[in-house]
Amino acid sequence: MSGRKPIRKVLVANRGEIAVRVMRTCREMGIRTVAVYSDADRGALHVRMADEAVRIGPSPSRESYLAGERVLAAARQTGADAIHPGYGFLSERPDFNRACRDAGMVFIGPRPESQEAMGVKTSARKRMSAAGVPIVPGSEGPISEEKEARAYADGIGYPVMLKAAAGGGGKGMKKCERTEDFPALWQTARRESLSAFGDDRVYIEKFLEKPRHVEIQVFADEGGNTIWVGERECSVQRRHQKIVEESPSAIVDEGMRQAMGRVAVNAARAVQYVGAGTVELLVDAQRNFYFLEMNTRLQVEHPVTEMVTGLDLVRMQIEVAEGKPILKQEEIVCRGHAIEARVYAEDPARNFMPAPGKITYLRVPGGPGIRDDSGVYTGWVVPPFYDPMISKVLAWAPTRPQAIDRLMRALGDYHVHGIATNTHYLRAVLDHPAFRSGEYDTGFCGTFEKALQVPPDRALEHVALIAAAVMAFKRDHDRAEEFAARAGIAQASRSSWARQGRMRAMRGGWR
Amino acid sequence: MSTYVALLDGGRREQSIGVRVLGPGVYEVTLGGQTHRVDAFVHDYGTVSLVVDSASYSVQLDERRSELKVHLRDSVFPMEILDEKRLRMRRAAGKFTVEGKQTLTSPMPGKVVKVLKRPGDEVAAGDGVVVVEAMKMENDIRSPKAGKVVEVLVQEGQAVEGGATLATVE
Repeated sequence: MSGRKPIRKVLVANRGEIAVRVMRTCREMGIRTVAVYSDADRGALHVRMADEAVRIGPSPSRESYLAGERVLAAARQTGADAIHPGYGFLSERPDFNRACRDAGMVFIGPRPESQEAMGVKTSARKRMSAAGVPIVPGSEGPISEEKEARAYADGIGYPVMLKAAAGGGGKGMKKCERTEDFPALWQTARRESLSAFGDDRVYIEKFLEKPRHVEIQVFADEGGNTIWVGERECSVQRRHQKIVEESPSAIVDEGMRQAMGRVAVNAARAVQYVGAGTVELLVDAQRNFYFLEMNTRLQVEHPVTEMVTGLDLVRMQIEVAEGKPILKQEEIVCRGHAIEARVYAEDPARNFMPAPGKITYLRVPGGPGIRDDSGVYTGWVVPPFYDPMISKVLAWAPTRPQAIDRLMRALGDYHVHGIATNTHYLRAVLDHPAFRSGEYDTGFCGTFEKALQVPPDRALEHVALIAAAVMAFKRDHDRAEEFAARAGIAQASRSSWARQGRMRAMRGGWR
Repeated sequence: MSTYVALLDGGRREQSIGVRVLGPGVYEVTLGGQTHRVDAFVHDYGTVSLVVDSASYSVQLDERRSELKVHLRDSVFPMEILDEKRLRMRRAAGKFTVEGKQTLTSPMPGKVVKVLKRPGDEVAAGDGVVVVEAMKMENDIRSPKAGKVVEVLVQEGQAVEGGATLATVE
């Protein structure tokens, strides 16, 4: 055990639900918290929850939550011992991580060297391959000559993916079905890579049919104990964004799970990993799995793992940062089934257009097996500057079908007024036969796009119309009554003036 | 008795509803040839407990500008509700059609990242005219009709409020 001093004050370098979630654990541990906020977030929930709060800049992330210098200055100013980066923003920036270390501040996460090793696509692939981790079959590095590239593609067999070496986010990425199409797509991929990343190097990967996205949660302490903590299936994605995650995965059996766990631990060990991390794997139709990337931070969907294991991953992160040991592999027990649905401020009826604005009313679900990790409240104005996710709602149940029904029930009880949300779309996802059967892949949302836009129940339309008409009537009626009451007072006062006038006249008459 | 008209499916369908008071919080509602006894208990903001004959419903009414969203069990019914006088006024103003000059507005606060059309450009119904970025996403603001772009009131890089006029199409 390390003789380092315990962490007493944590600055949370994030906003929204994850900042709130980290602060909840800090409070339970008796650790004081510091929030940082931009101008748009002065009234945000994470500011209200923290013991101290520091303004770090204007609303755009670049000038606030991504401004590492300002975050560090806030930590120094408040005397924080440690910085928890959450996810996104500064969580995977080795330079910020290093700056924390140089400032004598504990960065709650892995070493900057581990983050660097996993940051660049082609070099991470090379490193994982050397460590015996299966990678998607493909060229070892970028290929410069078209002829050579085409020969390579012919060799591994079509379809293949052409990917930008410097890339990400789908840019410079092309699927090639046949050798005849290769030259044109090769040129396009290079051109797109150059314009998007200023780098036209392209490498080739085998295209996986109906891939599923399954990831393994890993944890490591400074004493060299590296463990894996179950898997999460995250194949329900829209625009490459995960929206529903579950554990266990419906396609992973115990043998495969153990094999994936061992691979994930090897991947983490290969970069001397410390803290919480996630090894993302792609699983093909034959259930072969391949390394995709490693996220060197806490994931959005970490509560799924917390619900099936009963662990608090944020507490474990803090303990590792204090130099304490983690549990042994055989102490990890998974029980039942957990599913998470991400609630976004967006309008599915308008092509998922973001819907920032004021939340005029909020009522969230509770009851058996439900967890709501939210970052908002009634009266909060969801700002247009950041990610549209406002909450994550989870259900735990002994079995997968029960967990699905429970989460659907909870989403039906999730009421947000003032802005549009995707709760109905999420219910349609959970209720779709492909999801219920467990036979789905990353193409799910695209394949069933139409079926997932469930129209309102026509049998209830008359009730909705009755409600709308009665409320309109009541409003008009109340208004009319108020008006009449005011008019009544006016009339009464007018008549009293008239009475006085008459009396004066009478008095005059008597004079 | 008062009569209200609900516009459904973006104004493509209409349904009229008659309402009469029977007592405090109790109404007689006529709709589609059927009459119901309705007991309405109004809770907090926008929430009403409705007992229709003997069926019980918890209904949430979410009203923004003229649009009303009625949340009921697992469905949402977007509509606009007008009394007969307002319906006549709206008809006279010709607001239901996409004839004449149409204004494109930004549905949310954000930043104009691209202007796709210039004044004088021909557009088809559904063509993107301006791209507004909000919450890390780019959103095409599309023309509701075929015609010609009359004016574009914003520039690339400009911040816009929700409801701001972006362009007009004729």
